[in-house]
Amino acid sequence: MITEQRHRARRGAVAAGLTAAVAAVFTASVALGSPAVQPAEALQALLGGASETANTIVNTVRLPRVLAALMCGAALGVSGALLQTLFRNPMADPYILGVSSGSVLAIGVALLAAPLLGITPSSIPSLYTAAFLGALAVTLLMTSISGIVRSVTTVLVVGVMLGYLSYAATSILAVLADIERIRAFTYWVFGSFSGSRWSLLTPAIPALAASLIFIALLAKQLNALLLGEEYARSMGMHIGAVRVLAVAAAAFPVSVVTTVAGPIGFIGLSAPYLARQLTQTSDHHTTIPFSALVGALLTASADLAARMLLRPVELPVTAVTALFGSPLIIYLLLKGRGVFY
Amino acid sequence: MIRAEDVAAGYRGQPVLEDVGLYIRDGEFTAVVGPNASGKTTLLKTLAGLLKPLKGVVYVDGRRVSEMDVGELARSVGVVLTENVRPGLLTVQEVVALGRYPYTGLTGRLRPVDRAEVLAALGDVGIQHLADKPYNILSDGQRQKVMVARALAQKPQALILDEPVTYLDPKARVELLLTLRRICRQRKIAVIASLHEIELALRVADRLLVVAAGRVKAYGSPEEFVEDGGPVELYEFGEDAGFCAETLTVEARPQPSEGFKVFVIAGAGRGAPVYRMLARLNTPFATGVLHEGDLDYYVAKSLGGEVIAEKAFHQISLEKLEQALTTASKADAAIYVSHPVGPTNAANTALAEKLAEKGIPTIVYGDAAVKGCWAKVERLSMLADILKQLAKQGSREIPKTHLIQAGQQSF
Repeated sequence: MITEQRHRARRGAVAAGLTAAVAAVFTASVALGSPAVQPAEALQALLGGASETANTIVNTVRLPRVLAALMCGAALGVSGALLQTLFRNPMADPYILGVSSGSVLAIGVALLAAPLLGITPSSIPSLYTAAFLGALAVTLLMTSISGIVRSVTTVLVVGVMLGYLSYAATSILAVLADIERIRAFTYWVFGSFSGSRWSLLTPAIPALAASLIFIALLAKQLNALLLGEEYARSMGMHIGAVRVLAVAAAAFPVSVVTTVAGPIGFIGLSAPYLARQLTQTSDHHTTIPFSALVGALLTASADLAARMLLRPVELPVTAVTALFGSPLIIYLLLKGRGVFY
Repeated sequence: MIRAEDVAAGYRGQPVLEDVGLYIRDGEFTAVVGPNASGKTTLLKTLAGLLKPLKGVVYVDGRRVSEMDVGELARSVGVVLTENVRPGLLTVQEVVALGRYPYTGLTGRLRPVDRAEVLAALGDVGIQHLADKPYNILSDGQRQKVMVARALAQKPQALILDEPVTYLDPKARVELLLTLRRICRQRKIAVIASLHEIELALRVADRLLVVAAGRVKAYGSPEEFVEDGGPVELYEFGEDAGFCAETLTVEARPQPSEGFKVFVIAGAGRGAPVYRMLARLNTPFATGVLHEGDLDYYVAKSLGGEVIAEKAFHQISLEKLEQALTTASKADAAIYVSHPVGPTNAANTALAEKLAEKGIPTIVYGDAAVKGCWAKVERLSMLADILKQLAKQGSREIPKTHLIQAGQQSF
């Protein structure tokens, strides 16, 4: 019981530290850039009290962008935490498993192929719908494959290959489409928060918030799944229903993120890992909120770095996240079974 | 209470085990024994409701398992599977608390009653002191106890365990089985476990369910099973091994050979370790003169040795003594194992002295005084070394002094 108190104190400190870091990155994101805005003025602008230029820059460009990065990061972190338990694989991540690529392919079909057939469904709701269907299809496919193949690494390789397949299909579509549409589409291929506008975010923010809450409510089931499906069932879990809910719950936020910013890699991988290491537990009541916090922090920082590192050129976010994500994967692979959760 | 009537268990319509009927009362421990791939796991999963029976009905506490929903089933049946779990950074307490799944609400938060049940389960299995330890630093034996405690936290009326001790070291095996039996009595729950260790099963189980080749071979108390010659039949021991029903042990027999032979004079249970050593060295032996009913008598017989025995509590007759002398004269060496000597077996000492006189190398194991003996050893390992040396030389050429020195060195 003493240990429990110590753990609680530790988690409190970690949460406070992460929140402070998120606040710092938020402030830097609205202030930094060209032109730079003083932090104090930026905060005033958020309340609508600064000069007109500052107001416009902060409220229509930088605020939606940093909000998008924070929300998408939280969603990717939580979705990664869910996928890692569902697949019993510490390297599961929506990007690596091909879920994000599935969304991109579906968006590509909606944007590039549909006009070839004479339909123009490029409205925002149809993009979201297409992205969700694409993500869902890949997640379902991967779930059934992981039911057959037990090996952690085989599932990963299959996911990466699925990603390549959908990349190939996307490229073929791009070749067939006209230049104007390709330019619009390339934004989804690379992954960037530069296109974050209120019109795109208005449906995304409540959708992401809802899916965060939904996944948090699956904590009990996910904890039971740590012992494997057969044990979970013997302890009273409706395994079929939970699997369907979990697949949908993982695919939905990823599809929203992909529609907003394209594929963002390695957040779903690193955030849950760091959350578990920082809090020293695998209890999903703790790891889910902390994965959200860490994911938000990593993504907003990565976006800030993508914006600032090679000014005025902007990097794709995944170029930054891969810098810490790829080494982590290699580390996990080398360390083997020992680091599971 | 677990009851199965005419159950067929299997996968995808293919029965692995058929015609199973059993009845396990509350507070009773049943062991399922049988060779690998005889359907033990399939049967246990069927009893636990994890597999649907292909035929027949399983009842727990009078209710049909197939008609319970998963939550109700989890509150009635606790399961420990063979699969290795990796619950990440969860502590022992957190793993055990997962057993409260069928009782907690939507969020899975533990109420005081849940915490009390978790503590009770930890206590029953004797691992309170591990409560705050991470699961992944525990030994295999401790992990298995955690999984048992987790099953108990479900407050089940029946506990079903698939090979709970197979991967444990010998001490942990006995410890876990005794813990299970105690829990079974204290909580008054029906326990059924598959075991590979027939010798342990015979000692701890109230009933045995013996399965082989897709059928139930026997179902009853361990005593009935042994009386009916069950162990011998089940594992088809053949020439290489024997099951000693009196000591409930499996004995590995020496391979038949024309080489070096030994005659052992023993009694009162002192000869048993020597016989086992000889069997391990693949040295055929004859022994006498023993009394029927002596532990030595049973062990020597189950090892396939030639036994010259007198009726229990009778003085060794001249006839048996002659028989022993004839047999022993054909041996390459004789071993006199020190044992209590009284009026009924006094002739054994004379027998040893007679053999020594006839020039058969006679080695005394222990502190008995035998006139004319070749060597005297205090330790069994020393005896083994000397016999190996004798067997290698294939004759009686080893100088006596060398042997005696060897014997003295050992101590």
